[in-house]
Amino acid sequence: MAALILSGQSRAQFGAIARVRWQLFVNSLRTIRGRLELVSRIFLGTWFAMLGIGGALVLGLGASHFVSEGKPEWLAVLLWPVFLFWQLFPVLATVFTENFDSSNLLRFPLSYPSFFLIRLVYGSLDPATFLGLLWTLSIGLGIGIAAPSQFFWAALALGVFAILNILLGRVVFAWLERWLAQRRTREILGLLFFLVVIGFQFTGPVVTHLGRGTFPPSRQIAEQFLPLERLIPPGVAAQSISLAWRGEILSAVGALILLCGYALAALWLLHLRLGAQYRGENLSDAVARTTGPRQKLSVAPGWNLPGIPGPIAAVFEKELRYLSHSAAMLLPMVMPVVVLFIFRFTPGTAARDAGLLSRAPDLAFPAGAAYALLILSNLVYNNFGAEGTGVQFYFASPVKFRDILLAKNLAHTAVLATEIFLVWLGVCYLFAPPSVAITAATLAGALFALLVNIIAGNVLSLYSPKKVDYGALGRQRGSQASVFASLGVQLFILALAFVTLYLARAYGKIWVATLIFLALAAVAFAGYALLLSRADQMALSRREILTAELSRT
Amino acid sequence: MDASAISTQSLTRRFGALLAVDNVNLRVASGQFFGFLGPNGAGKSTTIKMLTGLLAPSSGRIELLGLDFASRSVEVKRQIGVVPEGMALFGRLTGAEYLNFVGRMYGLDRGTAAKRAAELLDFMQLADQPKALVTDYSHGMQKKLALAAAVIHAPKILFLDEPFEGVDAIASGTLKAMLQRMISRGATIFLTSHVLEIIERLCSHVAIIHQGRLVAQGSLEDLRAGVEAQAAAALPSISSAGAPALEPGEKLTLEQIFLRIVGGSRLTDQELSWLR
Repeated sequence: MAALILSGQSRAQFGAIARVRWQLFVNSLRTIRGRLELVSRIFLGTWFAMLGIGGALVLGLGASHFVSEGKPEWLAVLLWPVFLFWQLFPVLATVFTENFDSSNLLRFPLSYPSFFLIRLVYGSLDPATFLGLLWTLSIGLGIGIAAPSQFFWAALALGVFAILNILLGRVVFAWLERWLAQRRTREILGLLFFLVVIGFQFTGPVVTHLGRGTFPPSRQIAEQFLPLERLIPPGVAAQSISLAWRGEILSAVGALILLCGYALAALWLLHLRLGAQYRGENLSDAVARTTGPRQKLSVAPGWNLPGIPGPIAAVFEKELRYLSHSAAMLLPMVMPVVVLFIFRFTPGTAARDAGLLSRAPDLAFPAGAAYALLILSNLVYNNFGAEGTGVQFYFASPVKFRDILLAKNLAHTAVLATEIFLVWLGVCYLFAPPSVAITAATLAGALFALLVNIIAGNVLSLYSPKKVDYGALGRQRGSQASVFASLGVQLFILALAFVTLYLARAYGKIWVATLIFLALAAVAFAGYALLLSRADQMALSRREILTAELSRT
Repeated sequence: MDASAISTQSLTRRFGALLAVDNVNLRVASGQFFGFLGPNGAGKSTTIKMLTGLLAPSSGRIELLGLDFASRSVEVKRQIGVVPEGMALFGRLTGAEYLNFVGRMYGLDRGTAAKRAAELLDFMQLADQPKALVTDYSHGMQKKLALAAAVIHAPKILFLDEPFEGVDAIASGTLKAMLQRMISRGATIFLTSHVLEIIERLCSHVAIIHQGRLVAQGSLEDLRAGVEAQAAAALPSISSAGAPALEPGEKLTLEQIFLRIVGGSRLTDQELSWLR
C-alpha cells in the first residue's frame, strides 16, 4: 500500500484530485447560491465542531470514570453511540445532499489499488469520520489517564475499532450508492426509509405499552440482547479492553482478533463493491428492446371526466398518474391515517390513561383533515416541480396556463378529498363517528384552507419553482421561499380557524363555524378566480425562469 | 408580412448585454424542408425557442401560417409541433400515457389520441415495453418519443432541434421517411442539426445564423451558386481560409459552403504537433 501511495503516478493522481476538488469549491463561490452554501457550511462546521468537542469531553470523562471505577465493560455504552453516529450519519446525509460521483475516475488510467485508496481516502473525508476519530481518541485518552498501564492495549483495540468504522462506513456508503444509482432500487430504498420513519413513530407507544407489565419485558429483552451485544463491534472492542484490564490476556486477544475479523470482512465487502465499479459495472436504467416479433400495441383511451374539457382532463389524469407512479410521493399521503393510529394507541399520562384524541375524539376528524392538508401542501406549493423539462411542453402547447393550473388544482383537491374521506373512516373506526356538526365544520374549514393554500401555492409555483424528483430518495420540498410562505399561510389559517371555533363554542353552536368557514371560502374562491384569470400573464412573464429552474440537471 | 409558413421581422433577443439573436428576418415557404444552421452559440436554439413560444423575443415579430404569434398564440400553437432541445418529456409517465396526454392537450378526442398513440409507438418501435416509464428510456428512445409527441396532432409546421442526435441508424432512416412523407403532404419542417450531411440530404432550403445574425438564406443551389461566384471573384467577404480547397469542376458540399460563409480554422502542421 505504502509503495502505491509513494509511487510517482499515484501521488500525482491524488494531488490532481485534491486540486480539482479545491477548484470545484472555489468555482462554486462564483454564484450567490454557492456563497450561501459556504455560509451554511461554516455554520454547520461550527455546530459540528462544538458537537465534536463537547462529545469528546463527555466521552473522555466517561471513559476515565468507568475505568477508574473498575467498570471497563461499561465502555460499550460510550462506543455504541460513536459507532451508530459513524455509520448512520453519512447515510442520512446522503439522503439529503448531493455526492461526488467518483465513477468519473474510471476514465483515467488508475490502477485498482489506487482507485480503491482514492475512494477510501476521499470518501472518508466527512464530518462523521472526523468526529468518530476525535471521539475514539478521547475515549482512549480517558482510559490512558485513568489507567496508564492499559493505554497501549486500549489504543490498539480502539485503533482497530476506528479502522473498522472507516471501512464499514465506506461499505455502507458504497452499497447505498449502488442502490441509489437505479430508479427502482432507489424507490425501494425510499419505501424502506419511509417505513423505518413510520416505525419510529410507533416506538413510543410500543415501549410504553411493554413497560406497563409488572416485570417490564423491555428489560427482559435488553438482558437477552446483552450476549449478542458483546459480539457486535462496539461490544467486542469494550470487551477486549475490559478483559485486558482484568488480566485475561488470551480472551482479550481473542476479542481483538474478532474485531480484526470484522475489519477484514468490511475490507472484503468494500473490495467486492469497488471491484465491480472498477470493472465498469453498468447500472443503467434504460429499458432493453426485446428481440422477438413486434407486438401490436393497444393504448387505452385517457380518462373520461364528464363536463371537463379534454386538456383539463388530460392534465388531471397526468397529475394522478404521476403520483401513482411514485411510491415516494404517494406513501406520505397515508400518513394522516397512520398518525390517527399512533394517537389512538399512544397512552396519556398516568393520571388520565388515554391519549389526547381518545379523550377528545371530536378533535380527531378536524386534526386528521388538517394534517392531510399539511401533507398536500408539499405538492400544492410546487405545482411544476416534478415536470422537469416537461414544463416546456406547457409553453409550447395550445392550452392556457389557466387551464393547466385549474387541472392541477382539481387533481390536488381530489387527492385531499380522498384523504379526508379515509381520515373520516379512520376516525369512525378508531375513535367514534364525528358528529354531523363537526363533520360539516371540518369540511367547510378544509375547503377554505384548501382554497387559500391553492392560491398561495399557484403563485409560489410560478414565482419560486424548484425541481424535484419523485423518484429520488429523501424529502422533495419546494424552495425555501415556498416553505416559509407555506408556514405563514398555515399559521394564518390555524389562527383564523381557532378564532372561528372559539366563537362557535362561545355561542354553543358549531354550525356557526361552518357558516363562517363557508363565507371565508366564498371570499377565497373569488380570489382564486381572479388569480386564474391572470395565470397566463404570470406564467408567460416567468417562462424563462420556470424553464431554466425546472430543466436544471 | 407575407403568408409564408414561417416569417420573422427584425427578430431580436438579448440576454443582458449579450445579443443572442440580432434582427433576424426569416422566410420559410409552406411545404419546405428547411435547415437552420450555425456554429455553437450562434443563436439557433434561441431562435427556435422564440418561434415556438418557449422564449419571448426582446423585439421583432413572428408570423406562423400567416398568424401573428404574439396575439394569436393558442391558434398558432395548435398547428405546430415541437421537439425542443430538452425534449420536454414527462418522465414519470409511460410512453403510451405521455402520447395520450399530448394528443388530448392538442385537442384530439380520447379515442383518436389513443389510436394515434398506439400507431406512433408501434412505428417508432417503442411498443416493446408498454409499462416502462419515460425516465427509464434510453436517450434515443426518448428522442423518438419526443418526435412522436410532436406529430401526434398532424401539425402543419414541425420544429425539430437536433432530432437525430442519439438515434440509431435504423430509427433515423424510419424518421427521415416519416418526415419526407409529411413534406410530400404539405407540411413545413424547420430543422436544426450540427450534422450537415443530414441537412444536405433532407432540406431544400437553408439559413445560416452566425453570431446572432442571419448571414445566408435560400435554396441549397442558390447558396452554392453564390459562394462559388464569390469565390471565383475572390471576394474578401467569403472567407476561404478555413475551407478545404476546391478542385476545378467540383460541386461544393453544404459543409464547404458553411465553412466558407462562417469561416473556421484548419489545423496547421505546427499546431498540436505532439498528437500522434
